[in-house]
Amino acid sequence: MGKILLVEDDEVMPKIIARILPPPEYEVDIAVNGKEAIQKLEANHYQYDLVITDIMMPYANGFEILSKVKSHEREKPIPVIIVSNAGNEDMIMEGFKLGVDDFLKKPIIPAELVIRVKRLLMRNK
Amino acid sequence: METTLSDILQDIRSIYYYAPLAIKVAIIFIIVAVSATVLAYLVMLRSRYRNYRQQRRMARMLPKIDELLMNEIIANPNIPHDVAPSKVALDLEPFDELPLHKRWGREMLTERIIHYRNNVSGTAGDLLRNLYLQLDLDKDAMRKLKSRHWNKKVEALNEFTLMDMPIADVTILPLANSRNRELRAAARQAYIKLSKNEPFKFFDSVTDPLLPWDQVELYRIITTTTDIAIPNFARWITYSSNKSVVSFCMKLVVHYNQLAAVPAIIKLLENRDHTLRAEAIEALGRLKIAEVEDRLVHLYTSQPLFCQIAILKALGRIRSGRHIDFLRNEFLHSTDFDLRKAAARAIVKNEIMAREVIDELLATTTGENLLILKHCMNPLIKY
Repeated sequence: MGKILLVEDDEVMPKIIARILPPPEYEVDIAVNGKEAIQKLEANHYQYDLVITDIMMPYANGFEILSKVKSHEREKPIPVIIVSNAGNEDMIMEGFKLGVDDFLKKPIIPAELVIRVKRLLMRNK
Repeated sequence: METTLSDILQDIRSIYYYAPLAIKVAIIFIIVAVSATVLAYLVMLRSRYRNYRQQRRMARMLPKIDELLMNEIIANPNIPHDVAPSKVALDLEPFDELPLHKRWGREMLTERIIHYRNNVSGTAGDLLRNLYLQLDLDKDAMRKLKSRHWNKKVEALNEFTLMDMPIADVTILPLANSRNRELRAAARQAYIKLSKNEPFKFFDSVTDPLLPWDQVELYRIITTTTDIAIPNFARWITYSSNKSVVSFCMKLVVHYNQLAAVPAIIKLLENRDHTLRAEAIEALGRLKIAEVEDRLVHLYTSQPLFCQIAILKALGRIRSGRHIDFLRNEFLHSTDFDLRKAAARAIVKNEIMAREVIDELLATTTGENLLILKHCMNPLIKY
Protein backbone atom coordinates (compact mmCIF):
# COMPACT_ATOMS: atom_id res chain seq x y z
CA MET A 1 0.00 0.00 0.00
CA GLY A 2 1.26 3.49 -0.77
CA LYS A 3 0.38 6.53 1.26
CA ILE A 4 0.32 9.54 -1.05
CA LEU A 5 0.04 13.24 -0.27
CA LEU A 6 -1.63 15.08 -3.13
CA VAL A 7 -1.25 18.88 -3.07
CA GLU A 8 -3.59 20.46 -5.58
CA ASP A 9 -5.79 23.55 -5.53
CA ASP A 10 -7.89 22.49 -8.52
CA GLU A 11 -11.05 20.70 -7.45
CA VAL A 12 -11.17 18.19 -10.31
CA MET A 13 -7.64 16.78 -10.19
CA PRO A 14 -7.93 15.21 -6.69
CA LYS A 15 -11.14 13.49 -7.80
CA ILE A 16 -9.41 12.03 -10.84
CA ILE A 17 -6.33 10.94 -8.90
CA ALA A 18 -8.39 9.46 -6.09
CA ARG A 19 -10.23 7.42 -8.72
CA ILE A 20 -7.20 6.22 -10.66
CA LEU A 21 -5.24 5.44 -7.47
CA PRO A 22 -7.97 3.69 -5.50
CA PRO A 23 -7.87 2.20 -1.99
CA PRO A 24 -6.81 -0.20 -0.55
CA GLU A 25 -3.73 -0.17 -2.78
CA TYR A 26 -3.29 3.59 -2.34
CA GLU A 27 -4.26 5.99 0.39
CA VAL A 28 -4.50 9.49 -1.02
CA ASP A 29 -4.37 12.38 1.43
CA ILE A 30 -5.40 15.69 -0.13
CA ALA A 31 -4.14 19.20 0.68
CA VAL A 32 -5.69 22.11 -1.19
CA ASN A 33 -2.80 24.56 -0.73
CA GLY A 34 0.87 24.67 0.19
CA LYS A 35 0.30 25.66 3.79
CA GLU A 36 -2.08 22.76 4.41
CA ALA A 37 0.40 20.40 2.73
CA ILE A 38 3.22 21.46 5.06
CA GLN A 39 0.90 21.13 8.06
CA LYS A 40 -0.08 17.61 6.95
CA LEU A 41 3.52 16.61 6.37
CA GLU A 42 4.50 17.78 9.84
CA ALA A 43 1.43 16.34 11.55
CA ASN A 44 2.16 12.96 9.95
CA HIS A 45 5.92 13.19 10.67
CA TYR A 46 6.61 12.96 6.94
CA GLN A 47 5.27 9.40 6.87
CA TYR A 48 4.27 9.47 3.21
CA ASP A 49 5.49 7.17 0.47
CA LEU A 50 5.03 9.76 -2.27
CA VAL A 51 4.09 13.42 -2.73
CA ILE A 52 2.30 14.65 -5.85
CA THR A 53 2.18 18.41 -6.04
CA ASP A 54 1.17 21.26 -8.32
CA ILE A 55 3.44 24.33 -8.60
CA MET A 56 1.18 27.38 -8.57
CA MET A 57 -0.75 27.33 -5.32
CA PRO A 58 -1.75 29.76 -2.60
CA TYR A 59 0.37 30.29 0.54
CA ALA A 60 3.30 28.03 -0.48
CA ASN A 61 4.14 26.87 -3.97
CA GLY A 62 5.15 23.41 -5.15
CA PHE A 63 8.86 24.20 -5.03
CA GLU A 64 8.64 25.18 -1.37
CA ILE A 65 6.93 21.88 -0.60
CA LEU A 66 9.54 20.04 -2.65
CA SER A 67 12.38 21.74 -0.74
CA LYS A 68 10.69 20.98 2.56
CA VAL A 69 10.25 17.30 1.67
CA LYS A 70 13.74 16.86 0.28
CA SER A 71 15.42 18.67 3.19
CA HIS A 72 13.70 16.45 5.73
CA GLU A 73 16.14 13.84 6.96
CA ARG A 74 14.99 10.26 6.81
CA GLU A 75 16.44 6.98 5.67
CA LYS A 76 14.87 7.10 2.22
CA PRO A 77 13.80 10.52 0.89
CA ILE A 78 10.15 10.80 -0.11
CA PRO A 79 9.82 10.78 -3.90
CA VAL A 80 8.04 13.81 -5.35
CA ILE A 81 6.14 14.15 -8.62
CA ILE A 82 5.24 17.61 -9.89
CA VAL A 83 2.04 17.75 -11.93
CA SER A 84 1.55 21.22 -13.33
CA ASN A 85 0.32 23.13 -16.32
CA ALA A 86 2.99 25.77 -15.69
CA GLY A 87 5.72 23.58 -17.12
CA ASN A 88 8.05 25.93 -18.94
CA GLU A 89 11.72 25.09 -19.32
CA ASP A 90 12.86 27.21 -16.38
CA MET A 91 10.35 25.63 -14.04
CA ILE A 92 11.27 22.10 -15.09
CA MET A 93 14.97 22.90 -14.56
CA GLU A 94 14.22 24.48 -11.19
CA GLY A 95 12.24 21.39 -10.17
CA PHE A 96 15.05 18.99 -11.10
CA LYS A 97 17.62 21.20 -9.37
CA LEU A 98 15.58 20.93 -6.19
CA GLY A 99 15.48 17.15 -6.54
CA VAL A 100 12.07 16.36 -8.02
CA ASP A 101 11.80 12.73 -9.09
CA ASP A 102 9.35 13.20 -11.94
CA PHE A 103 7.62 16.03 -13.78
CA LEU A 104 4.27 15.71 -15.55
CA LYS A 105 2.64 18.44 -17.54
CA LYS A 106 -1.13 18.94 -17.40
CA PRO A 107 -3.29 17.67 -19.00
CA ILE A 108 -2.01 14.32 -17.79
CA ILE A 109 -2.62 10.88 -19.23
CA PRO A 110 -4.14 9.06 -16.23
CA ALA A 111 -2.60 5.66 -17.09
CA GLU A 112 0.83 7.28 -17.39
CA LEU A 113 0.55 8.83 -13.94
CA VAL A 114 -0.41 5.45 -12.45
CA ILE A 115 2.68 3.82 -14.00
CA ARG A 116 4.98 6.59 -12.79
CA VAL A 117 3.54 6.41 -9.28
CA LYS A 118 3.96 2.62 -9.19
CA ARG A 119 7.54 2.88 -10.43
CA LEU A 120 8.52 5.44 -7.78
CA LEU A 121 6.84 3.47 -5.01
CA MET A 122 8.61 0.28 -6.13
CA ARG A 123 11.95 2.10 -6.25
CA ASN A 124 11.57 3.34 -2.71
CA LYS A 125 10.49 0.03 -1.20
CA MET B 1 -63.27 64.17 7.43
CA GLU B 2 -61.84 61.22 5.50
CA THR B 3 -58.65 61.84 3.44
CA THR B 4 -58.33 59.82 0.30
CA LEU B 5 -55.25 59.11 -1.80
CA SER B 6 -56.46 61.50 -4.47
CA ASP B 7 -56.64 64.25 -1.82
CA ILE B 8 -53.02 63.61 -0.84
CA LEU B 9 -51.92 63.69 -4.46
CA GLN B 10 -53.89 66.87 -4.95
CA ASP B 11 -52.10 68.44 -1.93
CA ILE B 12 -48.68 67.40 -3.27
CA ARG B 13 -49.58 68.79 -6.68
CA SER B 14 -50.63 72.15 -5.19
CA ILE B 15 -47.48 72.33 -3.00
CA TYR B 16 -45.35 71.62 -6.08
CA TYR B 17 -47.36 74.10 -8.17
CA TYR B 18 -46.93 77.03 -5.73
CA ALA B 19 -43.35 76.16 -4.70
CA PRO B 20 -40.40 78.32 -5.87
CA LEU B 21 -38.34 77.09 -8.81
CA ALA B 22 -35.39 75.93 -6.62
CA ILE B 23 -37.72 73.70 -4.57
CA LYS B 24 -39.27 72.30 -7.75
CA VAL B 25 -35.80 71.37 -9.09
CA ALA B 26 -34.85 69.85 -5.74
CA ILE B 27 -38.05 67.74 -5.68
CA ILE B 28 -37.40 66.45 -9.20
CA PHE B 29 -33.78 65.70 -8.31
CA ILE B 30 -34.84 63.78 -5.16
CA ILE B 31 -37.42 61.75 -7.09
CA VAL B 32 -34.89 60.86 -9.81
CA ALA B 33 -32.19 59.96 -7.24
CA VAL B 34 -34.56 57.79 -5.16
CA SER B 35 -35.87 56.03 -8.29
CA ALA B 36 -32.34 55.38 -9.58
CA THR B 37 -31.26 54.01 -6.18
CA VAL B 38 -34.28 51.71 -6.00
CA LEU B 39 -33.64 50.54 -9.55
CA ALA B 40 -29.97 49.86 -8.81
CA TYR B 41 -30.92 47.87 -5.72
CA LEU B 42 -33.42 45.86 -7.74
CA VAL B 43 -30.82 45.08 -10.42
CA MET B 44 -28.33 44.02 -7.74
CA LEU B 45 -30.94 41.90 -5.98
CA ARG B 46 -31.87 40.23 -9.26
CA SER B 47 -28.27 39.46 -10.10
CA ARG B 48 -27.57 38.16 -6.60
CA TYR B 49 -30.65 35.99 -6.72
CA ARG B 50 -29.54 34.59 -10.10
CA ASN B 51 -26.07 33.86 -8.72
CA TYR B 52 -27.59 32.25 -5.66
CA ARG B 53 -29.81 30.06 -7.85
CA GLN B 54 -26.84 29.15 -10.03
CA GLN B 55 -24.76 28.25 -6.98
CA ARG B 56 -27.56 26.03 -5.69
CA ARG B 57 -27.92 24.35 -9.03
CA MET B 58 -24.16 23.84 -9.20
CA ALA B 59 -24.01 22.39 -5.71
CA ARG B 60 -26.75 19.96 -6.73
CA MET B 61 -25.51 19.16 -10.23
CA LEU B 62 -21.71 19.09 -10.05
CA PRO B 63 -21.39 15.99 -7.83
CA LYS B 64 -23.76 14.19 -10.22
CA ILE B 65 -21.79 15.33 -13.27
CA ASP B 66 -18.47 14.35 -11.64
CA GLU B 67 -19.83 10.94 -10.76
CA LEU B 68 -21.08 10.40 -14.31
CA LEU B 69 -17.85 11.57 -15.94
CA MET B 70 -15.80 9.36 -13.63
CA ASN B 71 -17.96 6.28 -14.05
CA GLU B 72 -18.71 6.59 -17.74
CA ILE B 73 -15.53 8.17 -19.11
CA ILE B 74 -12.43 8.40 -16.93
CA ALA B 75 -12.62 5.09 -15.09
CA ASN B 76 -15.08 3.06 -17.15
CA PRO B 77 -13.72 -0.48 -17.56
CA ASN B 78 -16.29 -1.22 -20.31
CA ILE B 79 -14.80 1.23 -22.82
CA PRO B 80 -13.42 -0.94 -25.63
CA HIS B 81 -9.66 -0.54 -26.09
CA ASP B 82 -9.61 -1.78 -29.67
CA VAL B 83 -11.72 1.12 -30.98
CA ALA B 84 -10.43 4.68 -31.43
CA PRO B 85 -11.80 6.89 -28.59
CA SER B 86 -13.45 9.19 -31.12
CA LYS B 87 -15.39 6.25 -32.59
CA VAL B 88 -16.59 4.68 -29.34
CA ALA B 89 -20.39 4.64 -29.05
CA LEU B 90 -20.84 5.88 -25.50
CA ASP B 91 -23.73 4.86 -23.29
CA LEU B 92 -25.60 8.16 -22.99
CA GLU B 93 -28.50 6.81 -20.94
CA PRO B 94 -26.95 7.66 -17.54
CA PHE B 95 -26.70 11.29 -18.68
CA ASP B 96 -30.50 11.44 -19.01
CA GLU B 97 -30.70 12.14 -15.29
CA LEU B 98 -29.12 15.54 -15.93
CA PRO B 99 -31.43 18.40 -16.99
CA LEU B 100 -29.86 18.62 -20.45
CA HIS B 101 -33.13 19.91 -21.95
CA LYS B 102 -32.36 23.17 -20.12
CA ARG B 103 -29.67 25.53 -21.35
CA TRP B 104 -28.06 26.00 -17.93
CA GLY B 105 -27.83 22.24 -17.54
CA ARG B 106 -26.02 21.86 -20.85
CA GLU B 107 -23.74 24.83 -20.07
CA MET B 108 -22.80 23.36 -16.72
CA LEU B 109 -21.94 19.99 -18.26
CA THR B 110 -19.93 21.65 -21.04
CA GLU B 111 -17.93 23.71 -18.53
CA ARG B 112 -17.20 20.60 -16.50
CA ILE B 113 -16.12 18.61 -19.55
CA ILE B 114 -13.75 21.45 -20.48
CA HIS B 115 -12.44 21.54 -16.91
CA TYR B 116 -11.75 17.79 -17.06
CA ARG B 117 -10.09 18.12 -20.46
CA ASN B 118 -7.74 20.73 -19.00
CA ASN B 119 -6.62 18.08 -16.55
CA VAL B 120 -6.61 14.86 -18.56
CA SER B 121 -5.51 14.04 -22.07
CA GLY B 122 -4.93 10.91 -24.13
CA THR B 123 -7.79 8.42 -24.36
CA ALA B 124 -9.71 10.05 -21.50
CA GLY B 125 -9.44 13.47 -23.14
CA ASP B 126 -10.61 12.10 -26.50
CA LEU B 127 -13.52 10.30 -24.85
CA LEU B 128 -14.58 13.55 -23.18
CA ARG B 129 -14.59 15.23 -26.60
CA ASN B 130 -16.57 12.33 -27.99
CA LEU B 131 -19.12 12.73 -25.21
CA TYR B 132 -19.38 16.47 -25.94
CA LEU B 133 -20.16 15.67 -29.57
CA GLN B 134 -22.55 12.80 -28.89
CA LEU B 135 -24.58 14.97 -26.52
CA ASP B 136 -24.73 17.68 -29.22
CA LEU B 137 -23.24 20.24 -26.85
CA ASP B 138 -21.33 21.75 -29.78
CA LYS B 139 -24.62 23.03 -31.21
CA ASP B 140 -24.98 25.46 -28.31
CA ALA B 141 -21.50 26.83 -29.02
CA MET B 142 -22.40 27.15 -32.70
CA ARG B 143 -25.51 29.15 -31.72
CA LYS B 144 -23.35 31.38 -29.51
CA LEU B 145 -20.99 31.91 -32.41
CA LYS B 146 -23.88 33.35 -34.41
CA SER B 147 -24.98 35.61 -31.54
CA ARG B 148 -24.99 39.39 -31.96
CA HIS B 149 -22.99 39.81 -28.74
CA TRP B 150 -19.21 39.71 -29.14
CA ASN B 151 -18.66 38.22 -25.67
CA LYS B 152 -20.85 35.22 -26.57
CA LYS B 153 -18.81 34.75 -29.74
CA VAL B 154 -15.57 34.85 -27.74
CA GLU B 155 -17.01 32.25 -25.34
CA ALA B 156 -17.92 30.00 -28.28
CA LEU B 157 -14.49 30.39 -29.88
CA ASN B 158 -12.75 29.52 -26.61
CA GLU B 159 -15.00 26.50 -26.23
CA PHE B 160 -14.24 25.29 -29.75
CA THR B 161 -10.52 25.81 -29.19
CA LEU B 162 -10.51 23.90 -25.92
CA MET B 163 -12.60 21.09 -27.39
CA ASP B 164 -10.44 20.98 -30.52
CA MET B 165 -13.47 21.46 -32.80
CA PRO B 166 -12.81 22.56 -36.37
CA ILE B 167 -14.69 25.67 -37.56
CA ALA B 168 -15.42 26.50 -41.19
CA ASP B 169 -13.24 29.24 -42.68
CA VAL B 170 -16.30 31.21 -43.81
CA THR B 171 -17.44 31.43 -40.19
CA ILE B 172 -14.15 32.26 -38.52
CA LEU B 173 -12.24 34.36 -41.06
CA PRO B 174 -14.58 37.38 -40.84
CA LEU B 175 -14.19 37.27 -37.04
CA ALA B 176 -10.38 37.25 -37.41
CA ASN B 177 -10.75 40.70 -38.97
CA SER B 178 -13.34 42.00 -36.51
CA ARG B 179 -13.08 45.57 -35.26
CA ASN B 180 -13.49 44.29 -31.71
CA ARG B 181 -10.02 43.61 -30.31
CA GLU B 182 -11.03 40.77 -27.96
CA LEU B 183 -13.05 39.00 -30.62
CA ARG B 184 -10.31 39.44 -33.21
CA ALA B 185 -7.67 37.97 -30.86
CA ALA B 186 -9.90 35.02 -29.90
CA ALA B 187 -10.73 34.28 -33.54
CA ARG B 188 -7.09 34.39 -34.62
CA GLN B 189 -6.06 32.21 -31.72
CA ALA B 190 -8.82 29.73 -32.55
CA TYR B 191 -7.89 29.76 -36.24
CA ILE B 192 -4.21 29.07 -35.57
CA LYS B 193 -4.99 26.29 -33.13
CA LEU B 194 -7.80 24.63 -35.07
CA SER B 195 -6.66 24.90 -38.66
CA LYS B 196 -4.21 22.03 -38.98
CA ASN B 197 -3.25 22.58 -42.64
CA GLU B 198 -3.19 26.35 -43.10
CA PRO B 199 -3.20 28.04 -39.71
CA PHE B 200 -1.98 31.31 -41.19
CA LYS B 201 -4.49 31.64 -43.98
CA PHE B 202 -6.05 34.66 -42.31
CA PHE B 203 -2.91 36.62 -43.19
CA ASP B 204 -4.30 36.59 -46.75
CA SER B 205 -7.45 38.36 -45.72
CA VAL B 206 -6.15 40.81 -43.08
CA THR B 207 -7.08 44.22 -44.40
CA ASP B 208 -6.46 46.47 -41.39
CA PRO B 209 -2.93 46.85 -40.01
CA LEU B 210 -1.91 44.33 -37.34
CA LEU B 211 -1.52 46.58 -34.32
CA PRO B 212 1.62 46.15 -32.19
CA TRP B 213 -0.44 44.55 -29.41
CA ASP B 214 -2.06 42.18 -31.94
CA GLN B 215 1.40 41.22 -33.11
CA VAL B 216 2.56 40.53 -29.56
CA GLU B 217 -0.51 38.36 -28.95
CA LEU B 218 -0.16 36.52 -32.26
CA TYR B 219 3.54 35.96 -31.72
CA ARG B 220 2.81 34.44 -28.32
CA ILE B 221 0.06 32.21 -29.72
CA ILE B 222 2.09 31.04 -32.71
CA THR B 223 5.29 30.36 -30.83
CA THR B 224 3.61 28.56 -27.94
CA THR B 225 1.11 26.45 -29.89
CA THR B 226 2.37 22.96 -30.48
CA ASP B 227 1.55 20.82 -33.52
CA ILE B 228 0.93 23.60 -36.01
CA ALA B 229 2.14 23.51 -39.58
CA ILE B 230 4.66 26.33 -40.02
CA PRO B 231 4.52 27.60 -43.61
CA ASN B 232 7.23 29.43 -45.55
CA PHE B 233 6.53 33.03 -44.54
CA ALA B 234 8.20 34.25 -47.75
CA ARG B 235 4.74 33.88 -49.30
CA TRP B 236 3.38 36.87 -47.39
CA ILE B 237 6.67 38.79 -47.39
CA THR B 238 6.54 38.71 -51.19
CA TYR B 239 2.85 39.08 -51.96
CA SER B 240 1.02 40.67 -49.03
CA SER B 241 -0.08 44.23 -49.61
CA ASN B 242 -0.47 44.70 -45.86
CA LYS B 243 2.81 46.13 -44.56
CA SER B 244 2.14 45.05 -40.97
CA VAL B 245 1.72 41.44 -42.14
CA VAL B 246 5.03 41.63 -44.02
CA SER B 247 6.76 43.09 -40.99
CA PHE B 248 5.24 40.46 -38.68
CA CYS B 249 6.19 37.62 -41.04
CA MET B 250 9.81 38.81 -40.97
CA LYS B 251 9.78 38.44 -37.18
CA LEU B 252 8.44 34.90 -37.58
CA VAL B 253 11.11 34.10 -40.18
CA VAL B 254 13.74 35.15 -37.63
CA HIS B 255 12.06 33.13 -34.87
CA TYR B 256 11.91 29.95 -36.97
CA ASN B 257 15.29 30.67 -38.62
CA GLN B 258 13.65 30.18 -42.04
CA LEU B 259 16.59 30.59 -44.36
CA ALA B 260 14.34 29.74 -47.33
CA ALA B 261 12.65 33.11 -46.83
CA VAL B 262 15.91 35.09 -47.00
CA PRO B 263 15.67 35.93 -50.76
CA ALA B 264 12.22 37.44 -50.15
CA ILE B 265 13.63 39.58 -47.33
CA ILE B 266 16.60 40.66 -49.47
CA LYS B 267 14.12 41.92 -52.10
CA LEU B 268 12.68 44.22 -49.45
CA LEU B 269 15.95 46.13 -49.39
CA GLU B 270 14.63 47.80 -52.56
CA ASN B 271 11.25 48.61 -51.00
CA ARG B 272 10.27 52.26 -50.98
CA ASP B 273 8.96 52.05 -47.42
CA HIS B 274 11.78 53.02 -45.03
CA THR B 275 10.30 51.18 -42.07
CA LEU B 276 10.01 47.91 -43.98
CA ARG B 277 13.54 48.34 -45.29
CA ALA B 278 14.88 48.88 -41.77
CA GLU B 279 12.98 45.81 -40.55
CA ALA B 280 14.36 43.74 -43.45
CA ILE B 281 17.90 44.85 -42.55
CA GLU B 282 17.28 43.95 -38.93
CA ALA B 283 15.93 40.51 -39.89
CA LEU B 284 18.94 39.81 -42.14
CA GLY B 285 21.24 40.80 -39.29
CA ARG B 286 19.45 38.56 -36.82
CA LEU B 287 19.57 35.68 -39.32
CA LYS B 288 23.34 36.38 -39.68
CA ILE B 289 23.28 36.45 -43.49
CA ALA B 290 26.90 37.31 -44.25
CA GLU B 291 26.23 37.42 -48.04
CA VAL B 292 24.28 40.67 -47.73
CA GLU B 293 26.96 42.58 -45.84
CA ASP B 294 28.54 44.12 -48.95
CA ARG B 295 25.13 45.18 -50.21
CA LEU B 296 24.23 46.76 -46.87
CA VAL B 297 27.50 48.72 -46.82
CA HIS B 298 26.87 49.79 -50.42
CA LEU B 299 23.33 50.97 -49.54
CA TYR B 300 24.43 52.77 -46.37
CA THR B 301 25.02 56.31 -47.63
CA SER B 302 21.66 56.52 -49.44
CA GLN B 303 19.60 55.49 -46.42
CA PRO B 304 17.76 57.56 -43.80
CA LEU B 305 19.14 57.60 -40.27
CA PHE B 306 17.16 54.69 -38.79
CA CYS B 307 18.05 52.44 -41.75
CA GLN B 308 21.73 53.39 -41.28
CA ILE B 309 21.49 52.43 -37.59
CA ALA B 310 19.83 49.14 -38.61
CA ILE B 311 22.72 48.45 -41.03
CA LEU B 312 25.35 49.08 -38.37
CA LYS B 313 23.49 46.84 -35.93
CA ALA B 314 23.19 44.13 -38.62
CA LEU B 315 26.96 44.26 -39.25
CA GLY B 316 27.45 43.82 -35.51
CA ARG B 317 25.14 40.81 -35.44
CA ILE B 318 26.64 39.13 -38.53
CA ARG B 319 30.16 39.53 -37.07
CA SER B 320 32.06 38.48 -40.19
CA GLY B 321 34.83 40.98 -39.46
CA ARG B 322 34.98 42.02 -43.14
CA HIS B 323 33.80 45.60 -42.63
CA ILE B 324 35.64 46.69 -39.52
CA ASP B 325 37.31 49.58 -41.38
CA PHE B 326 33.90 50.83 -42.48
CA LEU B 327 32.62 50.62 -38.90
CA ARG B 328 35.77 52.36 -37.64
CA ASN B 329 35.29 55.23 -40.11
CA GLU B 330 31.65 55.63 -39.10
CA PHE B 331 32.62 55.63 -35.43
CA LEU B 332 35.31 58.23 -35.92
CA HIS B 333 33.75 60.51 -38.50
CA SER B 334 29.99 60.36 -38.13
CA THR B 335 28.40 63.48 -36.71
CA ASP B 336 25.37 61.68 -35.29
CA PHE B 337 25.64 60.31 -31.76
CA ASP B 338 23.39 57.28 -32.39
CA LEU B 339 25.38 56.28 -35.46
CA ARG B 340 28.65 56.46 -33.55
CA LYS B 341 27.16 54.41 -30.73
CA ALA B 342 25.80 51.75 -33.15
CA ALA B 343 29.16 51.62 -34.95
CA ALA B 344 31.07 51.25 -31.68
CA ARG B 345 28.76 48.45 -30.57
CA ALA B 346 29.19 46.69 -33.93
CA ILE B 347 32.99 46.95 -33.63
CA VAL B 348 32.89 45.51 -30.11
CA LYS B 349 30.60 42.68 -31.25
CA ASN B 350 33.17 41.69 -33.88
CA GLU B 351 35.33 40.79 -30.88
CA ILE B 352 38.51 38.92 -31.87
CA MET B 353 38.66 40.20 -35.46
CA ALA B 354 38.33 43.78 -34.26
CA ARG B 355 40.76 43.44 -31.34
CA GLU B 356 43.48 45.55 -32.97
CA VAL B 357 41.03 48.27 -33.99
CA ILE B 358 39.52 48.36 -30.51
CA ASP B 359 42.97 48.69 -28.90
CA GLU B 360 43.90 51.42 -31.36
CA LEU B 361 40.65 53.31 -30.72
CA LEU B 362 41.06 52.99 -26.96
CA ALA B 363 44.53 54.48 -27.27
CA THR B 364 43.73 57.29 -29.69
CA THR B 365 40.14 58.43 -29.09
CA THR B 366 39.26 60.99 -26.48
CA GLY B 367 36.21 62.68 -24.98
CA GLU B 368 32.75 61.52 -25.99
CA ASN B 369 33.98 58.84 -28.42
CA LEU B 370 36.06 57.19 -25.71
CA LEU B 371 33.07 57.23 -23.37
CA ILE B 372 30.88 55.64 -26.06
CA LEU B 373 33.45 52.91 -26.73
CA LYS B 374 33.90 52.11 -23.04
CA HIS B 375 30.13 52.09 -22.59
CA CYS B 376 29.78 49.58 -25.46
CA MET B 377 32.56 47.41 -24.04
CA ASN B 378 30.88 47.14 -20.66
CA PRO B 379 29.28 43.66 -20.67
CA LEU B 380 26.83 44.71 -17.95
CA ILE B 381 25.21 47.34 -20.20
CA LYS B 382 22.97 45.72 -22.78
CA TYR B 383 21.39 48.73 -24.44
